[in-house]
Amino acid sequence: MAPNDTRELADFLSETTDGLRIVGAGRWLDAGNPVRAMHTLRLERFAGVRQYVPEDLTISVGAATTLAELDNVTRPHGQWCPLLSWGDDSGTVGATIATATAGPFAASLGRPRDLVLGLECVDGLGRVINAGGQVVKNVAGFDLTRLMTGAWGSLGVITRVHLRLRARPAADETWVLHGDPAALDAFLRGPHAPLAALQLGSAASTASVASFGAVAVAAGADSVHRRLGLDPSARWLLRLGGNAADVNAAVKQLQQLGDCTQHDANIWTLVREHCAPPASATQWDWSPLARRVKHQFDPRGILNPGLLGERA
Amino acid sequence: MIADLRRIVGAAQVIERPSALLAYESDALPGYRRRPALAVFPGSREETVAVLRRLAADGIPFVARGAGTGLSGGALADDCVLLGLHRLKRVLEIDPAGRTATVEPGVVNATLTRLVAPHGLHYAPDPSSQSACTIGGNVAENAGGPHCLKYGVTMNHVLRATVALPDGEVVTLDRGDTGGYDLLGAFIGSEGCFGVVLDVTLRLTPNPAAIITLLADFTRLGDAAAATSAIVAAGVLPAALELMDHATIDAVERSIYAAGYPADAAAVLLIELDGAAEGLDGEADRVEALCRASGARGIRRATDPAERARLWQGRKKAFGAMGRVSPHLVVQDAVVPRTQLAALLEEIAAIGERQRVRVCNVFHAGDGNLHPNIPYDADDPDEVARVHAAMREIMERCIAAGGTITGEHGVGLDKLPYMEALFTPPTLEAMCSLREVFDPERRANPGKVVPVHACKEWHAAPSARAAGRTST
Ligand SMILES: Cc1cc2nc3c(=O)[nH]c(=O)nc-3n(C[C@H](O)[C@H](O)[C@@H](O)COP(=O)(O)OP(=O)(O)OC[C@H]3O[C@@H](n4cnc5c(N)ncnc54)[C@H](O)[C@@H]3O)c2cc1C
Ligand SMILES: Cc1cc2nc3c(=O)[nH]c(=O)nc-3n(C[C@H](O)[C@H](O)[C@H](O)COP(=O)(O)OP(=O)(O)OC[C@H]3O[C@@H](n4cnc5c(N)ncnc54)[C@H](O)[C@@H]3O)c2cc1C
Repeated sequence: MAPNDTRELADFLSETTDGLRIVGAGRWLDAGNPVRAMHTLRLERFAGVRQYVPEDLTISVGAATTLAELDNVTRPHGQWCPLLSWGDDSGTVGATIATATAGPFAASLGRPRDLVLGLECVDGLGRVINAGGQVVKNVAGFDLTRLMTGAWGSLGVITRVHLRLRARPAADETWVLHGDPAALDAFLRGPHAPLAALQLGSAASTASVASFGAVAVAAGADSVHRRLGLDPSARWLLRLGGNAADVNAAVKQLQQLGDCTQHDANIWTLVREHCAPPASATQWDWSPLARRVKHQFDPRGILNPGLLGERA
Repeated sequence: MIADLRRIVGAAQVIERPSALLAYESDALPGYRRRPALAVFPGSREETVAVLRRLAADGIPFVARGAGTGLSGGALADDCVLLGLHRLKRVLEIDPAGRTATVEPGVVNATLTRLVAPHGLHYAPDPSSQSACTIGGNVAENAGGPHCLKYGVTMNHVLRATVALPDGEVVTLDRGDTGGYDLLGAFIGSEGCFGVVLDVTLRLTPNPAAIITLLADFTRLGDAAAATSAIVAAGVLPAALELMDHATIDAVERSIYAAGYPADAAAVLLIELDGAAEGLDGEADRVEALCRASGARGIRRATDPAERARLWQGRKKAFGAMGRVSPHLVVQDAVVPRTQLAALLEEIAAIGERQRVRVCNVFHAGDGNLHPNIPYDADDPDEVARVHAAMREIMERCIAAGGTITGEHGVGLDKLPYMEALFTPPTLEAMCSLREVFDPERRANPGKVVPVHACKEWHAAPSARAAGRTST
């Protein structure tokens, strides 16, 4: 099943009683429990940029638009969508929002939940829901956007997403730190908030990791070093962004804290592909409230049945 | 039932007398008045839950209330039990290292910032009402404020919440980061319709290393709007970017809150930049250049705290200053894409002229969040009608421009009439479905946010007065 448009999808969902496996680019389908579904629902026809006004720093795209395409479209305007998720850029925007995948930049640039301004989806009753809007601030009505974000398609099939964009920083440098982890703690508490901070290796994790949104890559640390092409003494990978004076000052502070070297920014592509902390939908919190939510939006249980481990 | 409530919270904390209830007939939007059947003021979380259970037993509707500073008529308890939460004001924990605080709902926004200031921290969402409004009200409204342009609204700062559902069940909501629906995200901004906030864990933000505040002065309103769009489009992210038009400047400068704004300006932009000291001057130079290129006549730069506070005072007290102009004030709260601001302001001016009302604009320009204010006299029926007509026209224009009807004040009662212009019937129905999850009996703040007839199986909430009588 590959619907041509929202109407067709809505008609289908309002009638069918069969379980459906929703597929974006299909790059990360095994992240949940096995899905017991009669049909595969492919969303490939929901691709493409629908509206982009660069001066407003917002964009509206079909759910099947890939992260790579989003980047291609926004880059010439000096902008980016901070949804730089784990994995590579061949995944779709719809799936990234549906799974609320947050990559290594989430702490500074925003998690998917902070970046989705609105979305269109079709729920398990076939209702076409237009949640939120295209403006950067909006409290009209109850927040269905948040509800759908991270629901793994279990409440609705996302067809279109309105996103907030950000300006690419004027200066953008990547540094590898070999020093003492406590020194980095001091840095993170200082005035220069990095775009991303990645703790490499299984060293005793510092307070920074939890409190500052830094990401720890503990397990299999050696192979991470090898895959990123870093020598084993590398402890932290930092991305510094902002205006040039700012970044220069940050680098100066880093150099005072310990041994560090600049690195090619392309390493972040490798980081995103190889360092993802284990995340999946297998440990779902099925509180009574959560069950009520599921019942309201997909009473027949046709959307991704079994993915979140719910009992039939 | 009233006797039971008295037993739970103490006799002095239950109010029945109409004259005493008068104080709770409206919130900060005095155009709406609704009389509560009864007001109850619990002193603790346990009492709050006990009150809710007692009300649930008789199926009685209720409305939570914080400080009553809401600007959408959201905290009005028409024939319901008003549940005042201002006594729940304990600060349960401050963790400076982890940069979080856990507080009860009645804690006043500005109090929290004052308490954490010694640690070099603050609570970032800063509604202009911050010296009075409560954290519970902020969560219920997903409140914003001038500094939300850079730092985000309430939603972006709440990590966890304990809430009592309308039947008295207590649940903890979190963001779903570790596998679960984002029930916290759904709750925030639900305007008291999903349950009562009992405590919240909030993210605290480090104070910036350096701050520069600029006041750019324009001889044309449209130029100020264009400058706003130019600054944001250039990739500068100010901490705040606020616009005040001539009518607002005039009101402020003739009040006790006079901030020294140029009296003859058509508009001023109040721009705050913050961050690491090193890059800030260069950033300010860039903003100055962008303002001048858009037609700014002059720019003032405040770097010392006293001058900065003075510039901000005029902005934060602008609503109060308008009190001088007329006895009543309506405040609109629409959002449009930033690139549409200049056009919209022109249309608003034309609407004002046509309807013969005085519109004062003071708003969060960086977010495209308009606040056209109309001072008026509620005793003049002709003027009231013209004010309403102007408001409706402004809303319609904002929706047509791809905007929304509320950016931070909520729907409440005031914006109900526009919900159907903004959302399709299935979307409104889906909102009702979400409400059903938390409040299947629809006893929490009944009749607000989603128009009653938009929900297929909606039934009107029972009258608290009638229910109360039958069971006392
Ligand atoms: C190899 C690999 C490993 C990854 N590892 C991680 C990781 O460890 N942690 C992490 O956070 N992210 C991870 N990701 C995340 C991934 O980058 C994003 O979620 C996204 O890019 C996947 O896109 P997709 O279109 O391929 O998704 P798909 O594999 O097609 O779908 C992913 C899930 O989302 C649902 N879904 C897809 N589209 C929609 C829609 N429009 N509406 C509703 N539901 C929908 C699907 O049913 C499925 O359950 C990984 C990706 C890859 C390729
Ligand atoms: C001068 C002025 C300036 C303002 N500036 C701003 C601004 O810049 N940004 C902004 O966003 N708003 C602003 N407001 C609006 C208002 O201050 C905010 O909406 C604020 O969050 C309301 O808080 P409160 O405690 O007064 O809530 P109330 O007005 O008492 O209640 C508001 C809503 O919250 C619900 N509620 C209150 N407490 C709870 C609770 N514990 N649990 C569940 N529901 C609850 C009520 O039922 C009601 O629906 C301003 C108001 C004024 C008067």
